Amino acid sequence: MDSPVDGSERFGIDSESDIALVRRRVREVAQELGFDAFATAAITTAASELARNVWTHAHGGESTIARVLDGRRRGVRLEFRDRGPGIADLPRVLAGGFSTARSLGLGLSGSKRLVDEFRIDTTPGVGTTVQVTKWARY
Amino acid sequence: MARLKLDAREIESRRAFFELTDDDLARLASLRSFAERHSKEIVDALYELILGHPDSRAFFSSEAMVQRVKSLQREYFLGLFAGRCDGPYVEDRLRVGAAHERIGLAPKWYIGAYSRYLRLLLDRMFADFTPADAQASYLSVSKLVAFDMALAIDTYNAAYLDTMARQQAAIRELSTPVIRVYERVLLLPVVGTVDSHRAEQIMEQLLVRVVEEQARAVIVDIAGVPVVDTRVADHLIKTTAAVRLLGAETILTGISAHVARTIIQLGVDISAMHTLTRLADGIELALGLIGREIRAKAATP
Amino acid sequence: MTRGPIPILRVGDTLLITVHTDLHDTVAEAFQEDVLAAIEKTGAGGLIIDISGLDMVDSYVARVLADTGRMARLMGTRSVLVGMRPEVAATLVRMGYPMEGVQTALGVDDGLALLAAVNRGK
Repeated sequence: MDSPVDGSERFGIDSESDIALVRRRVREVAQELGFDAFATAAITTAASELARNVWTHAHGGESTIARVLDGRRRGVRLEFRDRGPGIADLPRVLAGGFSTARSLGLGLSGSKRLVDEFRIDTTPGVGTTVQVTKWARY
Repeated sequence: MARLKLDAREIESRRAFFELTDDDLARLASLRSFAERHSKEIVDALYELILGHPDSRAFFSSEAMVQRVKSLQREYFLGLFAGRCDGPYVEDRLRVGAAHERIGLAPKWYIGAYSRYLRLLLDRMFADFTPADAQASYLSVSKLVAFDMALAIDTYNAAYLDTMARQQAAIRELSTPVIRVYERVLLLPVVGTVDSHRAEQIMEQLLVRVVEEQARAVIVDIAGVPVVDTRVADHLIKTTAAVRLLGAETILTGISAHVARTIIQLGVDISAMHTLTRLADGIELALGLIGREIRAKAATP
Repeated sequence: MTRGPIPILRVGDTLLITVHTDLHDTVAEAFQEDVLAAIEKTGAGGLIIDISGLDMVDSYVARVLADTGRMARLMGTRSVLVGMRPEVAATLVRMGYPMEGVQTALGVDDGLALLAAVNRGK
């Protein structure tokens, strides 16, 4: 785990137990930012889903946890990167359409509903990057 | 009040957008002695404007206050020529902005004052430097002033958001009272329009209360909700599902004839939920779920 | 009664299992195996899974819990999930995982009462 200049933390997802590490750290950061129980549960669960996707579908990758402050609000931004197979038919997977990629789709679409911003970049045969942001609520 | 803060990433992003480069900062640092030379007259001229205007003069209760503020202003002015725009610089500017906001100094005075600064600097730069240098210097300082103004506006926004947050919390408490009508039976009368934000809050508050009270039944009365569309119905369905996960049942009451027609016509399926028109019927049903019933008293002989 | 980290208690004809920790990876497997082994051994008619100690349930954990219930059902045991936290329920529903096939109750007492009522109805 290193801490680049902007204060974000990087975690490798090289084993199933790394998912729990990522989850734990996300929970800590969320609580430090003053997220309430509901917001904490939401972002922690999203992190667990996305980290698990990296492990299950790409067999490894990394995640970054960053605090974001833009003067008006504070939040946490998570990024999950892998060099896995990528997602061929993204819209359909997000809608939960494919049965083979069912858990992947459910994890993605489920996480999407738990966060404020959701960005996904995927190229079949190259890999996938998912970035999610959750802001502290007032 | 939540502390306003910018992280390094945000500062970078703003500097890029304001085109505030290291060269600009270096040029400003090189103008330090120029700034010191003119600082007294510039600050005096600034306060001539402020004290000359009846509305802005009202902020100054005494001559001592004016002097104190002038010396703080001089520090602020010289800060523009420190050659830095980093975390500590930003924190300092935000602190000043917060102090102004606390005393109720509106942005118009702030921005008007910045504008005067720029005019005063422009005159003196063109008097002291070559036209080329004066122009370059002026551009650099105007970029930093714009950057500072954005920070000032941010502090005002942060303060408004804080106030709004407090008010919203109060409104939330008042507008969604969860009432214990009987042991382990809760009643939530929903009144007014329910947007997504409010619906989420209602659900969360309700779930917390269900666990706190170990309520077996929750009556949600929507007679006071003016419009029940697919979104509202969706929220009700979600809330019912969440309440069920906790181990309690939801009874929806206050379904008017109009709402019943709307829901069916919209094709929303809430048949899995207990739905009723009258609150009294909902209460009876809820009591039934906890093994109680309402009976007429036996006639007294 | 178990080799895993999660103890299984017996209350009459019902098995009670309290999940204190993250139900993940190999722990989940052990959990399922222990529960089913206990049902097989005792022939218990009811199973209560208390998740009041869980501050997060993602789709994986939800599946483990639901599957365990379904497996128990195949063996003739009715199961009830109790003690879910408000934020966990909210998150599951928001994700689109209302765990519809799973019977729930507020706590152990309510779970026992539910199982008793079901048995009376038989």
